[in-house]
Amino acid sequence: MALLEVHNLSIAYRTKRGLLQAVDNVSFSLEQGRSLGLVGESGCGKTTIGMALMGLLPRNGRVTGGGITLAGRDLLALTRQQWRELRWREIAMIFQAAMNALNPVQRVGEQIAEAILTHNPQMPRAQALSQVEGLYQLVGLPLERLRDYPHQYSGGMKQRAVIAMALACNPKVIVADEPTTALDVIVQDQILQETKSLQKEFNIGIIFISHDISIVAEVCHHIGIMYAGQMVETGSVAEVFSQARHPYTRALLGSFPALGGARRRLSPIAGEPPRLIGQLPGCRFCARCPVSGHSCKLEPPQWRQFSDSHFVLCDHCE
Amino acid sequence: MDQTLSPAPILELRGISKHYRSRGRSGRGGGQDVVALDQISLDFRPAEIFGLVGESGSGKTTCGRLIVGLEKADQGEMVLQGRSYGTLKGQALRDYRRQVQIIFQDPYQSLNPQISILDSVAEPLVTNRIGDGKSRLEKVLATLKAVGLAPPEDYAYRFPHQLSGGQRQRVAIARAMILGPKVLVADEPTSMLDASYSAQIFDILLEVRQRLDTTIILITHSLAAARYLCDRIAVIYRGHLMEVGPAETIISNPRHPYTQALIDATPKFGDCASLPRYGTLVSPERPASGAAGCAFFRRCGLAHLARCARQAPELRPLTPGHLVACHYSEESPDPETGATCRLGGMS
Repeated sequence: MALLEVHNLSIAYRTKRGLLQAVDNVSFSLEQGRSLGLVGESGCGKTTIGMALMGLLPRNGRVTGGGITLAGRDLLALTRQQWRELRWREIAMIFQAAMNALNPVQRVGEQIAEAILTHNPQMPRAQALSQVEGLYQLVGLPLERLRDYPHQYSGGMKQRAVIAMALACNPKVIVADEPTTALDVIVQDQILQETKSLQKEFNIGIIFISHDISIVAEVCHHIGIMYAGQMVETGSVAEVFSQARHPYTRALLGSFPALGGARRRLSPIAGEPPRLIGQLPGCRFCARCPVSGHSCKLEPPQWRQFSDSHFVLCDHCE
Repeated sequence: MDQTLSPAPILELRGISKHYRSRGRSGRGGGQDVVALDQISLDFRPAEIFGLVGESGSGKTTCGRLIVGLEKADQGEMVLQGRSYGTLKGQALRDYRRQVQIIFQDPYQSLNPQISILDSVAEPLVTNRIGDGKSRLEKVLATLKAVGLAPPEDYAYRFPHQLSGGQRQRVAIARAMILGPKVLVADEPTSMLDASYSAQIFDILLEVRQRLDTTIILITHSLAAARYLCDRIAVIYRGHLMEVGPAETIISNPRHPYTQALIDATPKFGDCASLPRYGTLVSPERPASGAAGCAFFRRCGLAHLARCARQAPELRPLTPGHLVACHYSEESPDPETGATCRLGGMS
């Protein structure tokens, strides 16, 4: 059985204009020690899924269908108290904009120690602090910076500190939401390589949320392409990159400048994603799709299977 | 710089330096000057797209702001079509500013939220007292259409919050282009946008160059974007030019260890997913070498401890048009597993 299983998950937000269906019928699973990249543009629901996995949906958000199980445990049935025990210990998150995730008026080392103490109230403070030292070594932060404040850290160091905090309670799964977006490319590369090796070392499952398809290609085993709240294609990274089937996946790959290969012309995706309020019959991509047929507008597309792991939500893909 | 084969530059930077004085004593740079740009010389040719690539703090944005006159250089000269910027006054200075426009990184902050798209885009015309209300409206609509906001009447009367990020960036381009500038500085125009929108913006920039022969200076941290758009690329590190040359040469045959490190660090996918690495970066950084040495010394794996720490390499041509600032550019390594598998390739 998979470590983390998301089954037909639907999430909606109450808004002034009506119910917004941010995530619609999304399923995926994650094995121990593997990584899954969720890729899509802003508003496709990828961060919403991450928040639901952490039990941190905002007040106007609600799971309207489906289920999430972590190591056999139904996460949607947890009480707030149970969440508080499970969060960070079983599943941890590296938040978007890590620069702002640290408390500016507390020394970084103490913040991390506090996170450990909160979840292990019996632990003596000295032991927590020595654990923090271990974490610092793990993520490549110099020990003499333990007593610094966040503003004394560079962007990459803050990112490492936030990763250290996510690792603090030995979680089985880490949700990393755009963890390197604000970083320079060399620092980003270092963090990505580090994340990969930590994952191997501790056999952690990682859900890697990003808008950048090239980063996901670099770090993940599996990839799920999301569009307008739905998963539209999922498979191993090799499958999805070499044999993309869904027209949106192809368009996304075609709109990304690459460093190698022929210098082909990029083809932007015309138009905008649909608004997710009200009824959306048919395929959500059809208004922007180069291969859509008449039926796409009316009938919801069906999943098609191309290999053990490669699935595509489209009626017209070959 | 070898210019016998190239057309006369439209804009030249000659030995431009810019320092920022940091205030206070706390922190690392306390009381010292921060070098934003050090003796930068570049020439921009008519109708070329020139990429200025570097990390944050490299001085690339400062360079763009100097070019449009938002900052003043401490040293050096900037020459637009044969006229030196420093000597311009009054009407001549206004003319310069008309010829050199900029679009900023964040389209959520560069447009005034209280002003309609029409008024935002027409503002340069009003400021420069060009045309009357009717001709301005026509001009704005035509420009909006040219940047892909069609039908333009649908967009002209909206406000920024009613547009997506990609659409806002198009408005910013329209506003920069409405005076028909000779040079357009694009400062990270797509870093705030999703992939499908950024490809749209790239297309618009290519079209602007094609239709109006505008020189575009693209400031970016992404070598992949620079490779896609640019004819030539300059790689800049801590205010120093490291390597300048044709885009394809810089990507497929980089000779500066910093350029090689940037290429190593760029996430790759598809055809080039498993390319060998150059591995020119040392970690952890070396202690500082003092002001005289190479700017990249602290992170350079190839550095010769005595020579590179004491003597800054000059930017010198390796082949005509390909300049490298490294003492060892002739002998910098090929990727670990040999030279057969390279980035780049057919156009």
